[in-house]
Amino acid sequence: MKVAIVGASGFVGTRLVEAFVLGKVAEVVPVVRSFSSLAVLSRFDLPWKVCDVLNVEELARAFAGCDAVIHAALGDPVQIVKMAESIYAAADQANVKRLVALSSASVHGLAPASGTNESSPLHEKHSSDYNNAKVRAERVMLKLRQRGNVELVLLRPSIVYGPRCRLLATIARQLLDGTAFLVGEGEGICNGIYVDNLIEAIRRSLESARADGETFLVADAEAITWRAFHAKVADALGVNMDSVHRVAAPAFRRSFKERVEAYVATPFAQRLLPAVPGQAKRLTKVLLAGLKEPPRPNAWTLPNPPSCIVDEEMATLQQCTWKYPGTKAAELLSYAPNVSFDEGMRRSIGWLGVAGYPLKKR
Amino acid sequence: MATSKLTEIPVILVGCGAISRFFYAPALTALAAPAALRVVALVDPSEENLVHVAEAFPEARKFRSLEEAEIAPSHLVIVASPPRFHARQSIHALGRGAAVLCEKPMAASLEDAEAMAAAATEGILAVGLYRRFFPACEAIHGLVQKQTLGRLKSFQVHEGGPFSWQAASESFFRRDSTPGGVLYDTGVHTLDLLLWWLGEPADFVYEDDAMGGLEANCRLALEYAHGCRGEVRLSRDWKTENRYTFFFERGFVRWIVNEADRLEICADGMPASLRGDLVPVSQTADRLIEQGQARTNPQSFIEQIRNVTAAMRGEEPLRVPAAEGLRSLRLIEQCYRKRSLMELPWLTLDEAEEGRRLAFAADEEVASR
Repeated sequence: MKVAIVGASGFVGTRLVEAFVLGKVAEVVPVVRSFSSLAVLSRFDLPWKVCDVLNVEELARAFAGCDAVIHAALGDPVQIVKMAESIYAAADQANVKRLVALSSASVHGLAPASGTNESSPLHEKHSSDYNNAKVRAERVMLKLRQRGNVELVLLRPSIVYGPRCRLLATIARQLLDGTAFLVGEGEGICNGIYVDNLIEAIRRSLESARADGETFLVADAEAITWRAFHAKVADALGVNMDSVHRVAAPAFRRSFKERVEAYVATPFAQRLLPAVPGQAKRLTKVLLAGLKEPPRPNAWTLPNPPSCIVDEEMATLQQCTWKYPGTKAAELLSYAPNVSFDEGMRRSIGWLGVAGYPLKKR
Repeated sequence: MATSKLTEIPVILVGCGAISRFFYAPALTALAAPAALRVVALVDPSEENLVHVAEAFPEARKFRSLEEAEIAPSHLVIVASPPRFHARQSIHALGRGAAVLCEKPMAASLEDAEAMAAAATEGILAVGLYRRFFPACEAIHGLVQKQTLGRLKSFQVHEGGPFSWQAASESFFRRDSTPGGVLYDTGVHTLDLLLWWLGEPADFVYEDDAMGGLEANCRLALEYAHGCRGEVRLSRDWKTENRYTFFFERGFVRWIVNEADRLEICADGMPASLRGDLVPVSQTADRLIEQGQARTNPQSFIEQIRNVTAAMRGEEPLRVPAAEGLRSLRLIEQCYRKRSLMELPWLTLDEAEEGRRLAFAADEEVASR
């Protein structure tokens, strides 16, 4: 099988290329947006393609001769929706049989209600523009599938971790510098999926006869708490979990600037934008930039130990109480995670060591 | 730098890509008056590249190849083209008596670099390893050589991050057009500094992650005759600390990559380490006189060009001549010859085996050429 991988230089894409090449799973055609994105891919001798992923003609040429396309590309909220359209259209034009697209479990929000599964209704009123864009992208692709010839499988992974994972690196750095935090005692559920388990789900999605037009939540087998996730990293670094800040669940309110930016990202505003004069756009940007208030320093304080900055995304994720079900993926994709949480973290921590993080000697 | 008595040096800038646009063009503009330089010609096969750099030097003539330009012994030829062209272009210019400043890496192979050095026995061939002009790197050189904090016991170098240079083509990432990855590109600076500070290692182990292509990550463990051990980790893949750390008998020194004029030092007895700007100070009897500010990163780049012009006028020795440029290339070639696949703990056993097979097959192919 010949597979084009769009977004082959991202965190998932890099490991996907590595696993498919070294595991001889498929003939791989990495597709990236710039020459600079070849820096890591070029460890292998591959027939990569560099093109504009919003340009259907260019993409279709890159997909020529491929049996399947995997869409693992990242982007801002506007690009996420536009890419959904261009990649499906290009796959159709290139007579690709199947498109496997990585959506996200965040279409259900970062802390989904109990009972959430693939059939739960979606909405576009999440506080995160990324989540709303993922919902729109899914809708665009499912609509295109209705009149297109390319089979479509949508995967909704949640917290993907593994080598090169930015979240893992951030937690490691925060543990080392004393700024890591847990909401409460970290009892919230981390719906993690080790990157190789996601790749296994992708592999199954390429082959399954019953997956076309379906969406699947995919995760590790175990229900892991955020405390357990942090504890694995802390133990590897020799950091005492007592040093991790415990915070109460905070309430977040969007600033005026964030609300304007969210509005600009909506499809309605995007349609209007070309009609707005450039000078007005620039003036708005300048005014918004000016809204940021500089902090007022106070010299008369005692030296403080490191404190944590509680960001909305992580704080909300840590309040999740629902473990996503894997029943649909098991039934229609025959997907079963083949890497345990312990093993996934062992391999991930191995990467931290290679990347220069000071692992405790064992 | 008095200018009135200086004879003007005409400069030919070969290669008008990103390095010329963002480094050489502003540096040569800054030096034009104080060092009496004038860019008289630009060379690049791409009209687009020529147009960009010509904005800084509108009077310069434009050529598609160096062979079209007239070169005289009075010229300084700056070779900033892709490395595979360095040898041919440098030797061509040296053959016409011109002085040459060749951008790093000096050449695409050690053999090419040796041919360049041989062509420069009577002339001037400088290599653009401009970190040697960083005041912070000069300070580390002094601390190691003079053993101010005692002997150097060990060091760690963690350098690199996700690749961000705006590559204009894929040739930078093709094994058939570029001899190496992160070691060849970033590592040439790192190894040049280590060779300058510490001399040749007595032994080393080198590993990287190339599996049929070019390495994005590598690790080099070094041992020196005087007992010092060091580790170098380079990456164009993930974020690193971008920091050099040196452990001496009586303290430590840390340097953040590319901070030309800043350093962190902690000597025994100090309650905390001292991190800050380097300030040149001269001492006369019991008086200390500050001499302005230490060179910044861009000023260090300018300084390397100024050093070449001063060498052309017989005023100063060349600080990074061809013989120095050869040293890091030689060590890089030795590394590639001793290459093994680095441990990538997330690979399955079967994947690691296939990775080793791909790496070995690629090395065999290169060796058979």
